[in-house]
Amino acid sequence: MAIMMPASDQTVLVRRAQIIAALRTIVPGEGVIDSAAEMRAYESDGLTAYRQPPMVVVLPETTEQVSLVLKYCAEQGIKVVPRGSGTSLSGGALPLEDGVLLGLGKFKRIREIDFDNRVVVTEPGVTNLAISQAVAHAGFYYAPDPSSQIACSIGGNVAENSGGVHCLKYGMTTNNVLGCEIVLMSGEILRIGGKGCENSGYDLMGVITGSEGLLGVITEVTVRILQKPETARALMVGFAEVEAAGECVARIIGAGVIPGGMEMMDKPAIHAAEAFVHAGYPLDVEALLIIELDGPKIEVDELITRVEAIANGCGSTTCQISTSEAERNLFWAGRKAAFPAVGRISPDYLCMDGTIPRGALPKALARIRELGEKYQLGCANVFHAGDGNLHPLILYDANKPGEIERAEAFGADILRACVEFGGVLTGEHGVGIEKRDLMPEMFSEVDLNQQQRLKCAFDAQGLLNPGKVFPTLHRCAELGRMHVHAGRVAFPDIPRF
Amino acid sequence: MDTLKVRDAKDVEEVVRAAIANEQPLEIIGHGTKRGIGHAMATNAVLDVSALNAVTAYEPNELIVTLQAGAPLADVLSLIDARNQQFAFEPMNTAPLLGTPALGTIGGMIAAGLAGPRRIKAGGARDHLLGAHAVSGFGDSFKTGGKVVKNVTGYDLCKLLAGSWGTLSVMTEVTLKVMPKPEAERTLLLRGLDDAAASKAMTTALGSPFDVSAAAHLPKSSFRASTDGLGDIASQSEALTVLRLEGITASATHRAGSLRELLAPFGTATLVEDTASAAVWATIRDVLPFAAGGALGAWPVWRIVCPPASGAALGTQLARETGGDVIYDWGGGLIWAALPPKADAHAPGVRQRAEAVGGHATLIRAAEDVRRIVDVFHPQAAGVAALSDRVRGSFDPKAILNRGRLSRGPAA
Repeated sequence: MAIMMPASDQTVLVRRAQIIAALRTIVPGEGVIDSAAEMRAYESDGLTAYRQPPMVVVLPETTEQVSLVLKYCAEQGIKVVPRGSGTSLSGGALPLEDGVLLGLGKFKRIREIDFDNRVVVTEPGVTNLAISQAVAHAGFYYAPDPSSQIACSIGGNVAENSGGVHCLKYGMTTNNVLGCEIVLMSGEILRIGGKGCENSGYDLMGVITGSEGLLGVITEVTVRILQKPETARALMVGFAEVEAAGECVARIIGAGVIPGGMEMMDKPAIHAAEAFVHAGYPLDVEALLIIELDGPKIEVDELITRVEAIANGCGSTTCQISTSEAERNLFWAGRKAAFPAVGRISPDYLCMDGTIPRGALPKALARIRELGEKYQLGCANVFHAGDGNLHPLILYDANKPGEIERAEAFGADILRACVEFGGVLTGEHGVGIEKRDLMPEMFSEVDLNQQQRLKCAFDAQGLLNPGKVFPTLHRCAELGRMHVHAGRVAFPDIPRF
Repeated sequence: MDTLKVRDAKDVEEVVRAAIANEQPLEIIGHGTKRGIGHAMATNAVLDVSALNAVTAYEPNELIVTLQAGAPLADVLSLIDARNQQFAFEPMNTAPLLGTPALGTIGGMIAAGLAGPRRIKAGGARDHLLGAHAVSGFGDSFKTGGKVVKNVTGYDLCKLLAGSWGTLSVMTEVTLKVMPKPEAERTLLLRGLDDAAASKAMTTALGSPFDVSAAAHLPKSSFRASTDGLGDIASQSEALTVLRLEGITASATHRAGSLRELLAPFGTATLVEDTASAAVWATIRDVLPFAAGGALGAWPVWRIVCPPASGAALGTQLARETGGDVIYDWGGGLIWAALPPKADAHAPGVRQRAEAVGGHATLIRAAEDVRRIVDVFHPQAAGVAALSDRVRGSFDPKAILNRGRLSRGPAA
């Protein structure tokens, strides 16, 4: 494993049998898994390059069990890694050798559907898509739609602040979650927020969302649901140059049009996707935009006309407009299958996830090309163009010595470039272990210390999901120390009034 | 009173460091327009950031603007308006309600986090703050977030800064999302509904596919002056329920027609457009009927957030029990309640009723002697309160920043 995880605590490992026995008194029956064979299913998440069997897997069914497990682990100094469906692409749920893997998969009941308040109260193990399905009969849906939505859990979505194709218009998880029940590492159960638009006091829900399982274990979530748009249509527009496609994206936004989704693919991604799903993608273009407009039919029709004109003005070489749901779905089929499609042309790939300002797209793609030459590896780019979120897919072969290391170095350089161009390390996949050691590219030690102090407010022992997000772990006592800077009484340079 | 007017982030750092060394709490102000909200601060030293007022960068095509925290909100709104953009969360102008002269600063807008009618569709200040530079109560400058809309790198400390009333850090520079202004707006008006019927109408509208961007209800009132910003649209003797549709002209018009049909069981809706519509929503956003200079100017005002469908029953009950007046926004999820003057501003009843439906109440306007005996911000459950204190301590362990603003009693 290329990344260093916190050293295993031998004093915990020698007590493994006792610990398992104690956990069995809290979660009876098959809820505690300790056989090596059965634990294999939990040794990795969506970032499969990293594997580590946990000390033991616990699958509680009630909030009280979660609370008792955490309380026991806190008292015994045992690390805990929470896990939803295990679809994290950044290794957020990678187990620890000396840690309890706490799976929330048995929390799979929707507790309440409240159409009058337009919210759903659900357990965290319910999949993202299941929420939309549960309210579809009344015309509602849950807006954030990560591409793993069939499998990923809403609890994991909250932990990762998951996005999706439609978040330019409808926001990410954080913009669509109103409240939760959370269990702290101490075992304390708290309710944050509710069915109203805002919490009282500090926005704890806001900071829990996207905290990657480091602040608490979510046992219930309240999400808002929206009415489905009346209709959606898509344009599929090809460009002979990436720059022209980038300009088209900027002009659409500049014209005040916020599409439901706006995706870009580069030539290698187009070819891979077309070979896989035969969506009718043009093969002689350098960049393809799929632009979806949703809303009332009259609005969509009007915006389609406007976007088409903008695309023509940017020198598009092809432009198809969907006239049926089947056709719209076909446009999307290739984009949605881009990852498996790339999987067909390369034995392995790494999926990166940086965000850049939209205007930096051409130079970012140029940089990726240069880096590809430097590292002698191919790269296909898919891109949530509307919000500047890049997903370069780096192609490599794990069986060829040195390729994974080269691929990882290539990926790290892409993310450094994202920061250099004014962007960030991760737009939606999370830091996890994957980008952990790159955090100093974006944040100073002071910045990271402030984040870790917040962690201390939730988990003073640092037992919940340690080794993720932060490259260097500090003790809370050390972080909380005040450095009193020479006690100057006056501020001689500062004007007083 | 000692006022320190800082010129840059470095100054802020110096002042906070010296304050820590001298155990001298600081009140943080921009234009000071919202100083009347919260408890009196346990200090007489003021850190004034209003000279940190530059526009660092405005990039309309990226839909972002980066500003120093002391930038005047009025200037920023003109700047982005000139490019036909806006803050989609419709920040409230508290000046009329509190009787202060100006709109305040960007930093104040974020620290208060008071969003307007579009909150139900577009979110609040917390949803539009993308990144910040700030000085913590450790005296350290730190940054959080970034300058792009899609970012999950590290904890989202921006969420905590928004609505923290200056108690966690002194923001020095912020990046905010801006959005295109809608081409057209249409507002449907329904007259004469009681609160319960209005609630049903708003719930029906917000549960429709017509993308309603605001829903409010002004009950019949014997208190309000007939003028209060609505001109000849409304009179005090008649309740008014208003629903807004925005977007490209053809769409807003079309949806207004569809919504009017859907709401036919509640009466025949009339329509106002664009400028007239905007005036209606500014009136509701800024709670003009309860303005400091108006008939109810001397009454305490509560801001109650609750599940939208519970709003009507709660508001009706409060108005009846206290002899007060209420206005509903956010489809019932936000109640503004002006209640007759009383030593405790009716706090026990308001808080108990709000809590019973899962809501919370902030005493947004009250005389200082009232605020001495009533918690301005809704008291939290013990566990959440303790966690909030630890969160405060993780930014400002000595409670140097705005000490005493959020809670009564011994300074934390």
